[in-house]
Amino acid sequence: MSLRIKTRFGILRIERRLSYTRMFSAAMSILSIALAFAVVGIILVIMGLDPIRAFSLIFGVYVKPPLLLESIKQSIPICLSALGLGIAFKMNFWNIGAEGQLYMGMIASTGIVLLHEYYGFFQGWMLLPLMLASSFILGGAWCLITGFLKAKLSVNEILPTLMLNYVAILVVDFLVHGPWRDPKGYGFPLSIEFPSYAKLTLIYGSSAYTGLLLSIAAAAAVFVLMEYTRPGFEIKVVGQSVNVARYAGISVSGVIMLGSFLSGGLAGVGGLSIVSGIIGRLRPGASPGYGYTAIIVASLAGLNPWLIVVTSIFFGGLLTAGGALQMNMGIPGSATQMIEAIIFLLILVGEFLKRYRLILERGVRD
Amino acid sequence: MGLEKLVELRGIVKRFPGVIANDHVDFELRCGEVHALLGENGAGKTTLMNILYGLYQPDEGEIYIKGNRVRLRSPSDAIKLGIGMVHQNFKLVESHTVLENVILGLKEPGIRIDFEKHARKIGLLAERYGWRIDPEVKVWQLSAGEKQQVELLKILYRGADILILDEPTSVLTPQETKTLFEALRKMAAEGRGIIFITHKLGEVMEVSDRVTVMRRGRVVVTKKTSEVTKSELANYMIGRPVIFSLEKVEAKPGKVLMRLIDLEALSDKGAPALNKVSLEVRSGEILGIAGISGNGQVELAEVIVGLRKALRGKVIIDGLDVTNRSSKELIELGVAYIPPESVRWGVLPELRIVDNLFLKAYRYPPYSSNLILNWRRMFEKARKLIEEFDVITPSIFSKARSLSGGNIQRLVLARELSGLIGGAPRLIIAAYPTKGLDIGAAEFVHKLLLKHKSMGSGILFISEDLEELLMLSDRIAVMSGGRIVGILSREEASVEKLGLMMSEALPQAW
Repeated sequence: MSLRIKTRFGILRIERRLSYTRMFSAAMSILSIALAFAVVGIILVIMGLDPIRAFSLIFGVYVKPPLLLESIKQSIPICLSALGLGIAFKMNFWNIGAEGQLYMGMIASTGIVLLHEYYGFFQGWMLLPLMLASSFILGGAWCLITGFLKAKLSVNEILPTLMLNYVAILVVDFLVHGPWRDPKGYGFPLSIEFPSYAKLTLIYGSSAYTGLLLSIAAAAAVFVLMEYTRPGFEIKVVGQSVNVARYAGISVSGVIMLGSFLSGGLAGVGGLSIVSGIIGRLRPGASPGYGYTAIIVASLAGLNPWLIVVTSIFFGGLLTAGGALQMNMGIPGSATQMIEAIIFLLILVGEFLKRYRLILERGVRD
Repeated sequence: MGLEKLVELRGIVKRFPGVIANDHVDFELRCGEVHALLGENGAGKTTLMNILYGLYQPDEGEIYIKGNRVRLRSPSDAIKLGIGMVHQNFKLVESHTVLENVILGLKEPGIRIDFEKHARKIGLLAERYGWRIDPEVKVWQLSAGEKQQVELLKILYRGADILILDEPTSVLTPQETKTLFEALRKMAAEGRGIIFITHKLGEVMEVSDRVTVMRRGRVVVTKKTSEVTKSELANYMIGRPVIFSLEKVEAKPGKVLMRLIDLEALSDKGAPALNKVSLEVRSGEILGIAGISGNGQVELAEVIVGLRKALRGKVIIDGLDVTNRSSKELIELGVAYIPPESVRWGVLPELRIVDNLFLKAYRYPPYSSNLILNWRRMFEKARKLIEEFDVITPSIFSKARSLSGGNIQRLVLARELSGLIGGAPRLIIAAYPTKGLDIGAAEFVHKLLLKHKSMGSGILFISEDLEELLMLSDRIAVMSGGRIVGILSREEASVEKLGLMMSEALPQAW
């Protein structure tokens, strides 16, 4: 069956492709990315900038070691959140609250550091493991609020997850303006800087290495969870059909709560990677929207955990490139977000064209 | 009877990836005839008719309507040429009146619609075919048979003279079927041509003038109905002789396996769906449930298997009160459930066949231990099962949506009846297990149910097909308006008796 649109050139038919090959799919994806850069190039020309120089800066990010490390660093929170979203999306749970869950993870991590620094709780080596656990739990709990509402009261998850983002961001604002403000920070809304043993700089002094390990370990964990465990199977079944899941004797509300907790928990760890990997302290606006970029990453990677790792690095690179463009060519930082959006849009178009074909029937009488 | 050809299809070819749905099909429809198009599911009947109705474009071949070669690009092209189609699923706006539905989409100049004129004309049209339909009634208030009459009115009102009916009797009671057939004969007598898609042989013999049999995308034969017998047709249809009466397995009913006491439950819409239902199923017995769909049968099945809350009453299985226990507990008690419309409720089309086979058993040993799934065991078992149950698929890793309806049902049967969870099921709840299946697949289901009966399972068998019920059941309970209006033994029951009980009980129940 097909959809028809009358145009002045004839009738445009949109027909579902019954099947397509992997090659075709890959070619389409590459074509859409290439097209995205072409569009960006045109915009740069209109802005009176040299697109070749801009692109060499962008691609340089993935080649020059210090910039590559920075890109990987930027990719960690994106990757961890996207892995969590992958679980939620497989469950047909449209969690768009990774941003807020990141902030809750930051709060948990910072809280542990402050307990140590102010009150002398815990020994230094215990900090990172505790931060890991607490950021997972708090991020997970933040998402579980919505998961609970959905499981028990059938509340749609989209609005609560989104709105809880603002709550989490404002809680961080409150903390760093108030009780958690660095007493020696000249009144700036910042927490104290984390001690080195609370930072992700265990390997070669850059958090990129430890962070990447964290990403890969998380991807492996998600992969095993989804492919080889009972809860993973149940998450997939619930995501395909709640009715069939009930028929199979699966406790749908239990699965939704577990899945939402895991999803938020991973984003929470992403929060840890921001405060102890990128910034080294808590401050307002600590995430420039990693949680939203993660939505793009998770869907572009087709929810595949390994592809999520790679795709996050690509987007982490775009963020880094944004900084480089700003410094070297005076392109505003928001231009990076524009590039990100254009790529995403064109890939969506590409995905559409993978599934449907357009046929123009010329000179058809009607 | 005129000999003028209304429709002629020549050498129609339609390919879908991997299959030829229509392979050089020739077909003709004459004025004044009811032409049955007979074939199993997947034989290409519906594809052919969708081509004639403009929904698909043929890859090769020519279409002639009333002698002119045409290209049908969409249903609106077909409608202009006087072709009308009644689909299996009605395409009516439920919250609108009959009148509004019939005139919807009529192309008439001006902005004012003369409702009264239309209502009068529709009333007259309905009367001509002996239908009692009030044009002002909202469609949702009508029975399935009446809705079908509205679909036909819609087509006739547009002046169509080529009518396509896709499995029109699948939703009707025997009485409604009779009314439909009378109307079809009358429409044909008035010079229209009617194409009647079906896989039921009895209907072909009863209503058609000619019959075209399709198998695997090709036309096997076109003959005058008076010149063929039922068994010849079945032969053409599946390419081998079929046995029409199953070997009856003598009932050796054992102890009472399931007892329902005064069950009451609500439908999805919150209306009472079950009204004091009391039944007993013994082991080694098939209890048939007859009734027009939507009279509480599905709700009954769901209450038993733990998918719907019982408001009052009790479900007792093996002496154990299991009322409102979870479906998981019932699965563990050995209750198998073949849900209605397996395609929608019984499988996950986007998951692999092996996932679907282990939809329930994945959580029990040996297929998982603690929280870890043992895929190797599942793969091994899945390969055996698709062979044993004859599921035709390239691999256990194919997605379930690639399977045909009959194969999906085999997959569901393999999951439910092969004893993946603690041995063969003790109680089998089968809701419309053969609906929409072709003869071959339905036969498979019947044999399997009888096999489990002889192994001592108790079976609750819900169906709309009275012949099937009479063939399989040891006792038949008739449901109407959420009540059991009577239970007959196989000896007492007949199609006429059951049909009467099904429809007569209706008015007082609602």
